[in-house]
Amino acid sequence: MDIFSDLVMGLSVAITPINMLYLLIGALVGMVVGVIPGFGPSAGLAILLPVTFGMDPIGAIMMLAAIYYGAMYGGTITSILLNTPGESATVASTFDGFPLAKNGRAGPALVMQAAASFVGGTVGVILITILAPLFSQVSRSFGPPEYFLLAVMGMLTLIMMIGTNWKLGVISALIGFALGTVGVDLETGQGRYTFGSAELIGGIYFIPIAIGLFGLGELFFAFYCGLHKTGTGSIVQYDKEERFWPTAQDWISTKFTMVRGSILGFVVGVIPGAGATIASLMAYSMERSLSPTPEKFGKGEMAGLVAPETANNAASSGAMIPLLTLGIPGSASTAVLLAAFLLWGLRPGPLFMQQNPELAWGLIASMYLGNMALLAINIFAIPLFVQLIKVPYRVLGPIVVVICAMGTFSVHASFVETYLMFAAGIVGFFMRLYGFSPAALVLALVLGPLAEEALRQTLTISRGSFMIFVERTPSLWIIAVTIALVVLLPLLGRMGSRAKKVEQAGG
Amino acid sequence: MTITFKKGQSYLLGTLLAAVVASPFAFATEASSQEYPSSSETLDWTIAFGPGGGNDIMARTIIDILGKYDLYPGEIKAENRAGGSGAVGWGYLFNQSGSGYGISTTSGSFVTTPLQADTPWQPEDFTPVALLATDDLVLVVNGSSEIQNIDQFIANAKENPITIGGTGTVNVDFIVPTLFAQKAGFEFDYVSFNSMSEQTTALLSQALDAMVGNPGEILGLIESGDLRPLVFSGQNVPAALEGVPTMGEVGHDIGVSMPRGLILAPDAPAEARDWWIETMKKVVETPEWAFYIESNTLTPTVIYGEDFRTFLGNTKNGFREVLKQVGAIK
Repeated sequence: MDIFSDLVMGLSVAITPINMLYLLIGALVGMVVGVIPGFGPSAGLAILLPVTFGMDPIGAIMMLAAIYYGAMYGGTITSILLNTPGESATVASTFDGFPLAKNGRAGPALVMQAAASFVGGTVGVILITILAPLFSQVSRSFGPPEYFLLAVMGMLTLIMMIGTNWKLGVISALIGFALGTVGVDLETGQGRYTFGSAELIGGIYFIPIAIGLFGLGELFFAFYCGLHKTGTGSIVQYDKEERFWPTAQDWISTKFTMVRGSILGFVVGVIPGAGATIASLMAYSMERSLSPTPEKFGKGEMAGLVAPETANNAASSGAMIPLLTLGIPGSASTAVLLAAFLLWGLRPGPLFMQQNPELAWGLIASMYLGNMALLAINIFAIPLFVQLIKVPYRVLGPIVVVICAMGTFSVHASFVETYLMFAAGIVGFFMRLYGFSPAALVLALVLGPLAEEALRQTLTISRGSFMIFVERTPSLWIIAVTIALVVLLPLLGRMGSRAKKVEQAGG
Repeated sequence: MTITFKKGQSYLLGTLLAAVVASPFAFATEASSQEYPSSSETLDWTIAFGPGGGNDIMARTIIDILGKYDLYPGEIKAENRAGGSGAVGWGYLFNQSGSGYGISTTSGSFVTTPLQADTPWQPEDFTPVALLATDDLVLVVNGSSEIQNIDQFIANAKENPITIGGTGTVNVDFIVPTLFAQKAGFEFDYVSFNSMSEQTTALLSQALDAMVGNPGEILGLIESGDLRPLVFSGQNVPAALEGVPTMGEVGHDIGVSMPRGLILAPDAPAEARDWWIETMKKVVETPEWAFYIESNTLTPTVIYGEDFRTFLGNTKNGFREVLKQVGAIK
């Protein structure tokens, strides 16, 4: 058992009092940066990076990694309580997390998200431990054709999100695609709709839009409904202590969701550039297409919260694979970790784990411990966060506005983005009022540029031939999986629900 | 009222006028040469990018060295003013025109951002202190490729259409292979990516024929044989790439690289500039600086003062020319 001895060695490296302290600090910082909207793990990492200069690399990397996956735990809390995603990977968690809270199930939703995060994170680390070399093959088989197909797969998610009112949904998605065209065109270098503004060179970043649409939009809607006038009332109901823990039904109904979300999240996380955000959105739509009751999604379905939560945590583990096995950072956060490796004079690459077994396995082992610590921190912290929603809405509202503005500004220190966030808030309010789909807009904004760039790269490489999609084995696999997801799964789901109905009718 | 002077008078008056006009400056010059850097003034160090990036790491490395060797007497306030690919941070420094206490580090965007957006400043506007290093690129192919060296690569490229990947279009990643191909006489299709990691996986997945990139980030893959380095764009090959020829050595020198240097606000006092040039001469001699250069695989290329301004101007014009040719900018 090579792996086992490696892991024991890793644990022996990780479990020293000082390293445990660093791990806990990292987990706590991660939680906090996750909770603050906009202020994501990459910002938290970058700020703490200079602190680690004088530290022992093992303790430092354990701490930095814990910030990364800790943020996945923290980011959901505001998604559930305020409909404001704490960071990009938890946008999908607002879809059912917030309705759950509105239905008076904030406590169970928070506990379930902590549990789902723990399961996703731990399954992810187990997969790293056992299958790192295998998955490194996955990360090195992705070229532009595969990214394009992945984006197409993601866009199928859009169809799910558009829901019943398809006209409004399509309009929402088109707005998202249109916003996605802003910025310097990657291929020709020409500015599109930038109006000479340097702040728009990089395009419209989706975080300010998501914070505005979801967080502020919801807030404005709550004021529109007059919630600030009701004394103790809050948009979120929190009734009795006995409702704090999830019911047995919550656990039973989501046990397979956790498994599916973990595996999907991990695989997507392994692909450089796809990351936790896309993983969580895909997990959500997969769960919805599999569910016998897709109509309940978006109205407070536990599986709709658990799926993205397991997926984003598993993805943050998966993102360690290209970093450790190839030296390729799959996300902004792992790019900061890569910078840290370089600063310490290490050379990430395929030989990294052989050359630095203590560091690599110490890090992997610490991720088991870190996830346990985060689960514990979350369970203890949830009652505190639940207090937050007892604050009268007329007090909470302005605080949310300030947090949203500060969070957005902290990302790139950009006033333009902060204005965009406020504009998105107003748009979000009207979208909410007239039944448009902010989720479809945000998803289109994320996937549109990705698909466009990948398709143009693909066609440059193939000199205009679409045959490249069937000539490459990895692309063929993705096409096969997409067809299976689109055609077979809903069919299975329908059969399942029919069988259930027959059963119920019979019983 | 008209005043006419005879020759002698006018000379006298002219001198007088010159003395009157010059005296405050002379006084100021004297004062600041005695006092610069004054320990009561805080040095306002602008980092035009977010924490953790290349520019940030360089700035903080220099600040650490200044602190460690007690080279700067006053307080240094380093602030990340990110936004608009550097436009925000360098715009902030631009507005401190005339001050000797506004300072910043440059990187590739210092040249490319003004080409893309309507920035109020141009790279030559600032007071140049020193170019300290350049970011140069290495051209690599997949380790399983049949192409073993740059001659085979060029021969192959002349026969078959090839693709070369890089990060961004208004960037040295596009300009370096374009100029190289012009000199070596082959054509290629450039595939632009958003990040180094995307282009690296594209090359590893056999989608691309070749790519250019900063050696630092892919040394591990080069060492393991997954990527094969063919040619280096800088003047001196870093130790880690020993054996790889430079573009000059294969007869196609392109003379373009990304400047990593130090600038003061526009029209900073000459004393401030001279003080910083002297100080940077000490900084680049420290072992900490050597470690920074090595771990980031930069090419140490040190030029001071006005030569740096000339370098910036040349680099910008070179970029503009190539980018205009391909229609990326107007």
